[in-house]
Order: sequence, then structure tokens, then C-alpha cells
Amino acid sequence: MMVQEVKPKRSAALSALSLIVIIAFLATLPLWTDDYWVRIWTGVAMWAGLAASWNIIGGYAGYISFGQVAFFGIGAYATAILMQPGLDWNFFLTLPVGAVVAGVFALIVGWPTLRLRGAYFAIATWALAEALTQIVNTVDFTGGSFGLSTPGNAETGFFYYAMLIASAAIYLIVFLLLERSRFGYKVKAVRDNEAAAQSLGINTTSVKLQAFVLSAALPAVLGGIDAYWITFINPQSVLAGDITDQMVVMSLVGGLGHLWGPAIGATVLYLSSTWLNAHFGSSTGYIAMIGALLALIVLFLPDGLVGFLPRARNMRLVRQMLRLPERPAGAAGPSADTSGDRP
Amino acid sequence: MVRVAMQLLVQTVIDGLLVGGLYVAISIGFSLAFGVLDVVDFAVGEWVMLGAFAGVASQAWLGIDPIAFLPAVFVIFALIGLLVAPLIYRVRTSRYARPALMALAFTFGIAMFARGVMLTSVGFDPRTVETHLVGGTMMIGGIHIPWLRLAGFIFAIVSTALFMGFLFFTRTGLAVRATAQNKRNASLMGIDVKRLSGLVYAIYAGLTAMAGVLIGAIYSFTAQVGPQYSLLAFFVVVMAGLGSVGGVLVAGLFLGMLQALVTVYVGADYTLAIVFGVLFLILLVSPQGVLRRGLAA
Repeated sequence: MMVQEVKPKRSAALSALSLIVIIAFLATLPLWTDDYWVRIWTGVAMWAGLAASWNIIGGYAGYISFGQVAFFGIGAYATAILMQPGLDWNFFLTLPVGAVVAGVFALIVGWPTLRLRGAYFAIATWALAEALTQIVNTVDFTGGSFGLSTPGNAETGFFYYAMLIASAAIYLIVFLLLERSRFGYKVKAVRDNEAAAQSLGINTTSVKLQAFVLSAALPAVLGGIDAYWITFINPQSVLAGDITDQMVVMSLVGGLGHLWGPAIGATVLYLSSTWLNAHFGSSTGYIAMIGALLALIVLFLPDGLVGFLPRARNMRLVRQMLRLPERPAGAAGPSADTSGDRP
Repeated sequence: MVRVAMQLLVQTVIDGLLVGGLYVAISIGFSLAFGVLDVVDFAVGEWVMLGAFAGVASQAWLGIDPIAFLPAVFVIFALIGLLVAPLIYRVRTSRYARPALMALAFTFGIAMFARGVMLTSVGFDPRTVETHLVGGTMMIGGIHIPWLRLAGFIFAIVSTALFMGFLFFTRTGLAVRATAQNKRNASLMGIDVKRLSGLVYAIYAGLTAMAGVLIGAIYSFTAQVGPQYSLLAFFVVVMAGLGSVGGVLVAGLFLGMLQALVTVYVGADYTLAIVFGVLFLILLVSPQGVLRRGLAA
């Protein structure tokens, strides 16, 4: 079943070369451009990491979450709260705290909802994010709707490298855990055919839960860095539903369930949104644009932009995932398909 | 003292029930569209928002009172629904893996598109639908009942009754219920599922937009209000059990009451948090809905 493509050596060399060029480009960026472009690429790095973490649950596990911003916001608030005067935590120590809190939250939400059909999961995660925004808006220790500020730090390069290293680490984790381990095969098996995976002895609920907790803990780290970077956070800036929307759209535009999809989608969309903002000064048009783009991608290009890569024809993407024989719980047994029974 | 407290309680419950009627109106079509298309439509709140703006436009551009304009709103949005439904159907029946989730993402895209377009063209200013046909307040034994809210409630009851009548007393309604139960068997009986889901989606979009006009007359709204009503509709439908039409009546009225009670006795800031907390508990305890007739798991 898992027929491994025999890759020509030349194309392996080509992808290694392009990876080196990309790493060299990103690593030396602050040395040869001005602060403006460094800030923009900080954003690209952040969104690539966010979209990659969403891709774990949405692309690899096949459960669409519309509440991932909650975990980004938890990370941002964890860092901001712990760095307040009086507590004065070290910035780097706040990041794991945010990740753990977000992971525990994901465990609590995921445990009941991941047993259900995907639609319930989508609704429950969305409801969680909205409820969290409401709570943060009202309680005191988060500064309510006014928000919190973090100690200022003006070094653009510091944040660029912090964000880049965090996103690269997320990419490495996704690569090792989902592309190169048994866990990755389990997650994909659950996505492709949950019943079959279960019959092979995979504890599907536990596998889904692990994937969800992973995809919640990682964005919390990015949220923490973001809170320190933008120096002032409130529910509108770090808990806005638009953030989830972008994670979903970037993964889909790039390529769902593909390692490089989120990075490609994030780069293309973030750069085009910056361009739109600079030229038209409107961010609402961007909402309409990514909405239309999302609908068009689903209709015409479900594999995303990675479908255009030369070697993509042999990749197991959305189009090639196994189709589930879907039937509602009330329907009759598995003998629904009788097309071959004609005499 | 006790009498005043009682009066407040009765007033709150009645306010809640009146609003709950509108929640029933926006959820009933949504529930059925889910049953027939098997897609959770994330654009439900945007139909409410667009309907409310249609009410504003009818007053501002045509000089027609929005309440009198309701039938036209229904027709306009039913036509838009007829255009959107085949696309959702196409994604839903495509050969991709997890077509249900791809369709979900598709409706999410449509919702964002509608929100972005409206935000770009009208901005963030709050508005209300102004109507002169219905106004003032009725007093019964110290209880205030604004005529507008009563009108909204009556509209909700009438449209729900008409809808139920269509479902249970016509041949097409029978086909709709059959399709909601089992698409394959329904199409074997000669039902054109594609056409039928287009019809259901059109009715749903028109009904929801009409409810949007009334909601816009009662509460002020902005172009950003869509997701909030989507979540309320989700609450109702999840509580009723996805696809269960009868449960929607109970759940919608319950939601209205819950919201009113929390606003009065706990604080308006906590309404959404408590409403979503309850939604989460329902999912936890009884994922098939309170009436246990949904199509979960």
C-alpha cells in the first residue's frame, strides 16, 4: 500500500540545495536588509509556525479546529502576566509555562469533543475560543478589554531570531513526529480511516488527543514571543478569531497535511497582506480576499499551492487520502454499496 | 419586596422567551440544511447580518419600511441561496477525503468573504433597522412587552409553523425528511438530492435573512456581528442534536431564557462565557442533544 517513490538523485540534491538556500536567506536576513523587512519576515516566521501547528490537527489528523487562537492567546497572556512588574520572570522561562497551560487546556477541551464527529469538534473549539475571549475581557488579572503591556525591548533582530528559531523548532518537531515516526503513521491512519485504524489496535482517541495537545502547545510559544514583541496585548490583538482564520487559510492555501504547505501559504499570504495594507491601507479587504481565496482553493485546488511543485504529483495529499465510507449513525449496516450485486 | 423580585423574574423570563423565538427562527433552517446537505454552515450568522443590512438598505434606498420589505428579503436571499447551494453540494460530494470538513471550510470562506465585503463597504459603525410599522410597549400586569419584540416572536412562531407544515404535510417535505435520514436510500426512491438540497438551502437562507431584519430592528449590529449569531445557532442546534428539528424549538427558547437570566442576575459581560460553558457541558454530557435524537458520533 505504501509504495515509496524511488526518487531520482538529482531531485534529492535539488531539494537539499533549495533548503540550504532558504536557510541561508533566512539566517542572514537582518544583515542585509532594513528593519522594515526584518519585521515583515518576523511575521512570516510567526505565521509559518502557527499554520504548521494548526496543520498537525487540521491536516495530519483531519480534525478542523476553529479555536486555535485560544492557545496562541494563552501563550501571549502567560508571558505578559509573568513578566509584569512584581513577578518579573525571565522571558525565556515564560514560554514553556504558556505551552504547558495551553496543552492542559487542549486536553480538557479535546477529551470530550475528539470522540465526536468533526463538525462537533469544529464548533466546540470555536466556542472555546469565543468564551475565552469573553472571560479575558472581563476578569482583572488579564487587564480586561484594556489589556497588558510587557517590558519594552526595541531590538528587531532579537525578535526575528526568536521567532525564526521557534518556528524552525516547530517545523523540526512536525517533521520528526509526523513525517518520521510511528506516531505520524498513527495520526495519518486515523485521518484516512478511523475505523480501520481502530481495528488495527490504535487507540484513536488517544492519538487524536496527543495530536491536538501538540498543535495547541506549539502556538502558545509563538504567542509568548509575540506578546513580548508587540509590547502591548489585548483580546483584540491576540485572541481575535481572525488569527484562527488565517492559520486555517494559510494551511489550506499552501497544502493541507503537507510539511511545507503551511510555510508556503504563510509566506504568500502574509507578504500579499502586507502589500495590500501598504498600497490600499485597508485590512478589511484582506478578510474578504482570504475568504474568497479559501472558497476557491476548496473548490478548485484542494491540494493547495504545493500541488504546483514539480514532484507533487506523487505525494499523498488531500486528493489521494483514502475516502471514508461515510454514513450517519442511524443508517443501515455496511452493505449500503450494492452496485456489484447485479446478476 | 418579594413582589418586585417576582415581577423582575417574570419580566426576564418573558424577555428571554421573546428573543428565544428569533433564535428558533435562525436555527430551524440551519438545522435542516445540516440534515440535508450534511454540512455545518458557518455562514449562518452572516445571513443574519446580511439580512439586517438588507433591512437598512430598504429603508434608506427604497424608502420601504423593513417590516413590509420582509417578503422581498426572503426572495432575494432565497435566490442567493440557490446560487451558493450547488457549490456546497459540489464540495460535499467531491472525491476528496473528508468532504464534510472541506465543505465546512468552504462555508467558512464564504462567511469571511461576506464579512470582509460588508466591513469594507459600510465600515464598523453600529446600526439599527428602523421601522415605523411596529413600535411602543404593551403593559400587562406590570410586565413590559415591546410590540417589536412581540412581532419578532410572532414572526418566528408563524414561520416555524409554516416550515414544519411544509416538512410534515407536503410530499416535498417528506422527501426532505427522507433525505435528512438517509441520502442513498432517498435517491434510490427517485429523489433528486441535489435539487432538494438547493431548495432547502434557499429556504434556509431566506428565513434566516428575514430573522436578521427583525434582529437588526431589536438590537444594534455591525458587519462583524455574524460569528456571534453563528455561535448562537450552533448552540441551539447542538443542544437540540444536529439535524433534529423538534429539539430546535425547545433549545432556542431555552437559550433566549438562559441569556436573559444571566444578563439580569449575573451580568451582561458574562453572558457569552456562560452560554458557551453550557454548550461545552452539553457536548460533554449528551453529544446527541438534549432530546437525544441527533445524528452524532
